[in-house]
Amino acid sequence: MSDVAIVIPLYNEEKVIRQTLEELRQKRPDDVIIVVDDGSKDNSYFEACIPGVYLLRHIVNLGQGAALQTGIDYAKKLGCKYVVTFDSDGQHCADDIEGFIEVLRKDEADIVLCSRFLGKAENIPTLKKYFLRIAAIVERFLTGIKLTDVHNGFRAINVAKFPDFVITQNRMSHASEIIDLIKRLDMRYVEKPCTIRYSNYSLAKGQSMMNSINIIIEFILGKAIK
Amino acid sequence: MIFIKLLLITILTIIFLLITLSSRFRTYQRLFIIFGYGLLTFFILFPSIADKVAEIFGIERGSDLVVYIAIAILALLSVVLYAQVKIHERAITKIVRDIAIMKSRKCE
Repeated sequence: MSDVAIVIPLYNEEKVIRQTLEELRQKRPDDVIIVVDDGSKDNSYFEACIPGVYLLRHIVNLGQGAALQTGIDYAKKLGCKYVVTFDSDGQHCADDIEGFIEVLRKDEADIVLCSRFLGKAENIPTLKKYFLRIAAIVERFLTGIKLTDVHNGFRAINVAKFPDFVITQNRMSHASEIIDLIKRLDMRYVEKPCTIRYSNYSLAKGQSMMNSINIIIEFILGKAIK
Repeated sequence: MIFIKLLLITILTIIFLLITLSSRFRTYQRLFIIFGYGLLTFFILFPSIADKVAEIFGIERGSDLVVYIAIAILALLSVVLYAQVKIHERAITKIVRDIAIMKSRKCE
Protein backbone atom coordinates (compact mmCIF):
# COMPACT_ATOMS: atom_id res chain seq x y z
CA MET A 1 0.00 0.00 0.00
CA SER A 2 1.21 3.50 -0.82
CA ASP A 3 2.13 5.84 2.02
CA VAL A 4 0.09 8.60 0.39
CA ALA A 5 -3.54 9.11 1.35
CA ILE A 6 -5.82 11.40 -0.60
CA VAL A 7 -8.49 12.72 1.75
CA ILE A 8 -11.65 14.05 0.14
CA PRO A 9 -14.30 15.74 2.26
CA LEU A 10 -17.67 15.25 0.61
CA TYR A 11 -20.89 17.17 1.10
CA ASN A 12 -23.80 17.14 -1.33
CA GLU A 13 -21.81 16.53 -4.49
CA GLU A 14 -23.71 13.58 -5.99
CA LYS A 15 -23.37 14.94 -9.53
CA VAL A 16 -19.59 15.18 -9.69
CA ILE A 17 -18.08 12.93 -7.00
CA ARG A 18 -18.02 9.79 -9.15
CA GLN A 19 -16.22 11.57 -11.96
CA THR A 20 -13.70 13.13 -9.55
CA LEU A 21 -12.98 9.78 -7.92
CA GLU A 22 -12.73 7.86 -11.19
CA GLU A 23 -10.18 10.34 -12.48
CA LEU A 24 -8.21 10.08 -9.24
CA ARG A 25 -8.36 6.28 -9.23
CA GLN A 26 -7.11 6.21 -12.79
CA LYS A 27 -4.26 8.68 -12.30
CA ARG A 28 -3.25 7.62 -8.77
CA PRO A 29 -3.94 3.89 -8.72
CA ASP A 30 -1.55 3.14 -5.85
CA ASP A 31 -2.63 5.85 -3.43
CA VAL A 32 -5.10 5.32 -0.62
CA ILE A 33 -8.27 7.29 -1.35
CA ILE A 34 -10.32 8.23 1.69
CA VAL A 35 -13.70 9.86 1.18
CA VAL A 36 -15.39 11.36 4.22
CA ASP A 37 -19.05 12.03 3.58
CA ASP A 38 -20.02 14.84 5.92
CA GLY A 39 -23.64 13.89 6.41
CA SER A 40 -24.72 14.64 2.84
CA LYS A 41 -28.44 14.98 2.29
CA ASP A 42 -28.29 13.73 -1.29
CA ASN A 43 -26.98 10.49 -2.78
CA SER A 44 -23.30 11.43 -2.48
CA TYR A 45 -22.41 8.63 -0.07
CA PHE A 46 -23.55 5.91 -2.47
CA GLU A 47 -22.17 7.67 -5.53
CA ALA A 48 -18.74 7.76 -3.88
CA CYS A 49 -18.58 3.99 -3.54
CA ILE A 50 -16.02 3.17 -6.20
CA PRO A 51 -13.86 0.02 -5.96
CA GLY A 52 -10.78 0.60 -3.82
CA VAL A 53 -12.07 3.73 -2.12
CA TYR A 54 -12.25 3.89 1.68
CA LEU A 55 -15.60 5.37 2.57
CA LEU A 56 -16.42 7.04 5.88
CA ARG A 57 -19.55 8.83 6.90
CA HIS A 58 -20.35 11.47 9.49
CA ILE A 59 -23.85 10.71 10.73
CA VAL A 60 -24.50 14.43 11.09
CA ASN A 61 -23.02 17.35 9.18
CA LEU A 62 -20.07 18.82 11.07
CA GLY A 63 -18.28 20.88 8.45
CA GLN A 64 -15.36 20.56 6.09
CA GLY A 65 -12.71 21.00 8.77
CA ALA A 66 -14.12 18.11 10.78
CA ALA A 67 -14.35 15.90 7.69
CA LEU A 68 -10.70 16.60 6.86
CA GLN A 69 -9.58 15.72 10.37
CA THR A 70 -11.57 12.47 10.31
CA GLY A 71 -9.82 11.61 7.04
CA ILE A 72 -6.41 12.49 8.48
CA ASP A 73 -7.08 10.34 11.57
CA TYR A 74 -8.07 7.43 9.35
CA ALA A 75 -5.05 7.89 7.09
CA LYS A 76 -2.78 7.69 10.12
CA LYS A 77 -4.61 4.57 11.24
CA LEU A 78 -3.88 2.99 7.87
CA GLY A 79 -0.22 3.90 8.32
CA CYS A 80 0.01 6.62 5.67
CA LYS A 81 2.79 9.17 6.04
CA TYR A 82 1.53 11.83 3.68
CA VAL A 83 -1.96 13.24 3.35
CA VAL A 84 -3.21 15.14 0.33
CA THR A 85 -6.43 17.08 0.83
CA PHE A 86 -8.47 17.31 -2.32
CA ASP A 87 -11.83 18.88 -3.16
CA SER A 88 -14.72 16.68 -4.21
CA ASP A 89 -16.16 19.01 -6.84
CA GLY A 90 -13.52 18.31 -9.47
CA GLN A 91 -11.81 21.69 -9.41
CA HIS A 92 -8.39 20.22 -8.60
CA CYS A 93 -6.21 18.21 -10.98
CA ALA A 94 -4.93 14.78 -10.02
CA ASP A 95 -1.85 15.44 -12.16
CA ASP A 96 -0.66 18.06 -9.67
CA ILE A 97 -0.45 15.60 -6.76
CA GLU A 98 2.85 14.00 -7.78
CA GLY A 99 4.73 17.32 -7.66
CA PHE A 100 3.37 18.03 -4.18
CA ILE A 101 4.32 14.61 -2.81
CA GLU A 102 7.74 14.90 -4.41
CA VAL A 103 8.51 17.96 -2.24
CA LEU A 104 7.50 16.07 0.92
CA ARG A 105 9.50 12.96 -0.03
CA LYS A 106 12.62 15.03 -0.64
CA ASP A 107 11.98 16.61 2.77
CA GLU A 108 12.12 20.09 1.31
CA ALA A 109 8.99 21.10 3.22
CA ASP A 110 6.50 19.69 5.74
CA ILE A 111 3.43 21.08 4.06
CA VAL A 112 2.81 22.03 0.45
CA LEU A 113 -0.02 24.38 -0.36
CA CYS A 114 -1.59 24.96 -3.71
CA SER A 115 -1.84 28.48 -5.02
CA ARG A 116 -4.16 29.24 -7.87
CA PHE A 117 -2.34 32.53 -8.38
CA LEU A 118 0.99 30.89 -9.07
CA GLY A 119 -0.58 28.39 -11.40
CA LYS A 120 -3.24 28.26 -13.98
CA ALA A 121 -6.64 29.22 -12.72
CA GLU A 122 -9.19 28.66 -15.41
CA ASN A 123 -12.08 31.13 -15.53
CA ILE A 124 -11.41 32.68 -12.13
CA PRO A 125 -13.98 35.44 -11.60
CA THR A 126 -12.33 38.87 -11.18
CA LEU A 127 -14.19 39.71 -7.98
CA LYS A 128 -13.24 36.40 -6.41
CA LYS A 129 -9.62 36.92 -7.44
CA TYR A 130 -9.34 40.24 -5.62
CA PHE A 131 -11.26 38.94 -2.66
CA LEU A 132 -8.87 36.00 -2.23
CA ARG A 133 -5.91 38.38 -2.48
CA ILE A 134 -7.35 40.48 0.34
CA ALA A 135 -7.96 37.31 2.37
CA ALA A 136 -4.27 36.44 1.95
CA ILE A 137 -3.24 39.85 3.25
CA VAL A 138 -5.57 39.56 6.27
CA GLU A 139 -4.15 36.12 6.99
CA ARG A 140 -0.60 37.43 6.75
CA PHE A 141 -1.50 40.13 9.23
CA LEU A 142 -3.10 37.62 11.65
CA THR A 143 -0.46 34.87 11.48
CA GLY A 144 2.63 36.31 9.83
CA ILE A 145 2.72 33.48 7.27
CA LYS A 146 3.26 34.72 3.74
CA LEU A 147 0.98 32.98 1.28
CA THR A 148 -0.62 34.04 -1.97
CA ASP A 149 -3.69 31.83 -1.67
CA VAL A 150 -5.10 30.95 1.73
CA HIS A 151 -8.41 29.28 1.08
CA ASN A 152 -7.44 26.52 -1.25
CA GLY A 153 -8.47 22.97 -0.44
CA PHE A 154 -5.49 21.35 -2.14
CA ARG A 155 -2.59 20.64 0.22
CA ALA A 156 -0.07 17.92 0.96
CA ILE A 157 0.94 17.39 4.57
CA ASN A 158 3.57 15.22 6.22
CA VAL A 159 1.31 13.93 8.99
CA ALA A 160 3.74 11.29 10.25
CA LYS A 161 6.21 13.99 11.26
CA PHE A 162 3.57 16.15 12.96
CA PRO A 163 1.28 14.14 15.21
CA ASP A 164 0.05 17.43 16.70
CA PHE A 165 -1.32 18.59 13.38
CA VAL A 166 -4.97 18.42 14.41
CA ILE A 167 -7.76 20.57 12.95
CA THR A 168 -10.22 21.62 15.64
CA GLN A 169 -12.21 24.21 13.68
CA ASN A 170 -15.06 22.18 12.26
CA ARG A 171 -16.30 24.56 9.63
CA MET A 172 -14.65 26.65 6.94
CA SER A 173 -12.30 28.52 9.24
CA HIS A 174 -10.13 25.39 9.32
CA ALA A 175 -8.20 26.89 6.38
CA SER A 176 -7.07 29.73 8.62
CA GLU A 177 -6.42 27.26 11.41
CA ILE A 178 -4.08 25.26 9.17
CA ILE A 179 -2.03 28.40 8.57
CA ASP A 180 -2.04 28.98 12.30
CA LEU A 181 -0.84 25.40 12.82
CA ILE A 182 2.01 25.94 10.35
CA LYS A 183 3.19 28.79 12.52
CA ARG A 184 2.62 27.08 15.86
CA LEU A 185 4.24 23.77 14.92
CA ASP A 186 7.03 25.57 13.09
CA MET A 187 6.37 23.65 9.88
CA ARG A 188 8.36 24.35 6.75
CA TYR A 189 5.88 25.39 4.10
CA VAL A 190 6.04 25.93 0.40
CA GLU A 191 3.49 27.11 -2.13
CA LYS A 192 3.27 25.40 -5.48
CA PRO A 193 1.27 26.30 -8.52
CA CYS A 194 -1.70 24.16 -9.36
CA THR A 195 -4.49 24.21 -11.83
CA ILE A 196 -7.98 25.08 -10.66
CA ARG A 197 -10.82 24.37 -13.00
CA TYR A 198 -13.65 26.76 -12.39
CA SER A 199 -16.57 25.06 -14.02
CA ASN A 200 -20.06 26.51 -13.93
CA TYR A 201 -20.85 23.79 -11.42
CA SER A 202 -18.10 24.66 -8.94
CA LEU A 203 -18.80 28.37 -9.28
CA ALA A 204 -22.42 27.88 -8.42
CA LYS A 205 -21.57 25.67 -5.45
CA GLY A 206 -18.51 27.48 -4.11
CA GLN A 207 -18.08 29.67 -1.06
CA SER A 208 -20.13 32.81 -1.12
CA MET A 209 -17.87 35.73 -0.48
CA MET A 210 -20.06 37.09 2.28
CA ASN A 211 -19.34 33.88 4.13
CA SER A 212 -15.71 34.89 4.44
CA ILE A 213 -16.70 37.45 7.05
CA ASN A 214 -18.18 34.61 9.10
CA ILE A 215 -14.97 32.69 8.59
CA ILE A 216 -12.86 35.51 10.02
CA ILE A 217 -15.16 35.91 13.04
CA GLU A 218 -15.19 32.14 13.60
CA PHE A 219 -11.41 32.02 13.41
CA ILE A 220 -10.88 34.85 15.89
CA LEU A 221 -13.46 33.46 18.34
CA GLY A 222 -11.97 30.01 17.93
CA LYS A 223 -8.57 31.37 18.86
CA ALA A 224 -10.00 33.16 21.87
CA ILE A 225 -11.90 30.15 23.21
CA LYS A 226 -9.77 27.04 23.06
CA MET B 1 -43.64 52.50 41.00
CA ILE B 2 -44.57 49.35 42.85
CA PHE B 3 -45.99 47.84 39.69
CA ILE B 4 -42.84 48.54 37.67
CA LYS B 5 -40.69 47.12 40.46
CA LEU B 6 -42.76 43.96 40.62
CA LEU B 7 -42.67 43.59 36.85
CA LEU B 8 -38.89 44.02 36.72
CA ILE B 9 -38.31 41.55 39.53
CA THR B 10 -40.68 39.02 37.93
CA ILE B 11 -38.86 39.25 34.58
CA LEU B 12 -35.50 39.01 36.32
CA THR B 13 -36.63 35.98 38.32
CA ILE B 14 -37.97 34.21 35.23
CA ILE B 15 -34.69 34.81 33.38
CA PHE B 16 -32.72 33.70 36.44
CA LEU B 17 -34.73 30.49 36.79
CA LEU B 18 -34.53 29.73 33.08
CA ILE B 19 -30.77 30.14 33.08
CA THR B 20 -30.05 28.17 36.23
CA LEU B 21 -32.51 25.36 35.57
CA SER B 22 -31.85 24.80 31.89
CA SER B 23 -28.06 24.87 31.82
CA ARG B 24 -25.36 23.10 33.67
CA PHE B 25 -23.02 25.63 35.21
CA ARG B 26 -19.94 25.32 37.33
CA THR B 27 -20.26 26.39 40.97
CA TYR B 28 -18.40 29.67 40.51
CA GLN B 29 -20.57 30.53 37.52
CA ARG B 30 -23.69 29.74 39.51
CA LEU B 31 -22.48 31.89 42.39
CA PHE B 32 -21.80 34.72 39.97
CA ILE B 33 -25.30 34.48 38.51
CA ILE B 34 -26.88 34.38 41.99
CA PHE B 35 -24.78 37.40 43.00
CA GLY B 36 -25.86 39.33 39.91
CA TYR B 37 -29.50 38.41 40.43
CA GLY B 38 -29.35 39.39 44.10
CA LEU B 39 -27.64 42.69 43.36
CA LEU B 40 -30.07 43.70 40.63
CA THR B 41 -33.12 42.76 42.74
CA PHE B 42 -31.71 44.72 45.67
CA PHE B 43 -31.15 47.79 43.53
CA ILE B 44 -34.65 47.56 42.06
CA LEU B 45 -36.14 47.36 45.56
CA PHE B 46 -33.98 50.13 47.03
CA PRO B 47 -33.18 52.61 44.28
CA SER B 48 -31.93 55.19 46.77
CA ILE B 49 -29.10 52.88 47.82
CA ALA B 50 -28.39 52.27 44.16
CA ASP B 51 -28.06 56.02 43.71
CA LYS B 52 -25.48 56.20 46.48
CA VAL B 53 -23.49 53.27 45.14
CA ALA B 54 -23.66 54.79 41.66
CA GLU B 55 -22.25 58.01 43.02
CA ILE B 56 -19.19 56.15 44.33
CA PHE B 57 -18.53 54.91 40.79
CA GLY B 58 -19.08 58.37 39.34
CA ILE B 59 -22.40 57.45 37.72
CA GLU B 60 -25.23 59.92 38.15
CA ARG B 61 -28.25 57.69 38.71
CA GLY B 62 -28.69 54.30 40.34
CA SER B 63 -30.88 53.11 37.48
CA ASP B 64 -27.98 53.75 35.07
CA LEU B 65 -25.78 51.61 37.30
CA VAL B 66 -28.36 48.80 37.15
CA VAL B 67 -28.37 48.96 33.35
CA TYR B 68 -24.57 48.89 33.19
CA ILE B 69 -24.35 45.92 35.52
CA ALA B 70 -27.09 44.11 33.57
CA ILE B 71 -25.24 44.63 30.28
CA ALA B 72 -21.99 43.42 31.81
CA ILE B 73 -23.66 40.30 33.20
CA LEU B 74 -25.42 39.53 29.92
CA ALA B 75 -22.21 39.97 27.95
CA LEU B 76 -20.35 37.67 30.28
CA LEU B 77 -23.14 35.14 30.17
CA SER B 78 -23.12 35.03 26.39
CA VAL B 79 -19.38 34.36 26.42
CA VAL B 80 -19.86 31.54 28.93
CA LEU B 81 -22.68 30.08 26.83
CA TYR B 82 -20.58 30.32 23.66
CA ALA B 83 -17.76 28.47 25.38
CA GLN B 84 -20.20 25.76 26.48
CA VAL B 85 -21.56 25.39 22.95
CA LYS B 86 -17.97 24.93 21.78
CA ILE B 87 -17.35 22.26 24.42
CA HIS B 88 -20.48 20.38 23.33
CA GLU B 89 -19.53 20.74 19.68
CA ARG B 90 -16.17 19.18 20.43
CA ALA B 91 -17.82 16.25 22.19
CA ILE B 92 -20.24 15.69 19.29
CA THR B 93 -17.37 15.88 16.81
CA LYS B 94 -15.49 13.19 18.69
CA ILE B 95 -18.53 10.90 18.81
CA VAL B 96 -19.38 11.40 15.12
CA ARG B 97 -15.72 10.92 14.11
CA ASP B 98 -15.35 7.72 16.13
CA ILE B 99 -18.54 6.29 14.62
CA ALA B 100 -17.33 7.23 11.11
CA ILE B 101 -14.01 5.45 11.66
CA MET B 102 -15.65 2.44 13.29
CA LYS B 103 -18.09 2.01 10.40
CA SER B 104 -15.56 2.74 7.66
CA ARG B 105 -15.56 0.40 4.71
CA LYS B 106 -13.58 -0.31 1.60
CA CYS B 107 -15.75 -0.35 -1.49
CA GLU B 108 -15.41 -3.44 -3.64
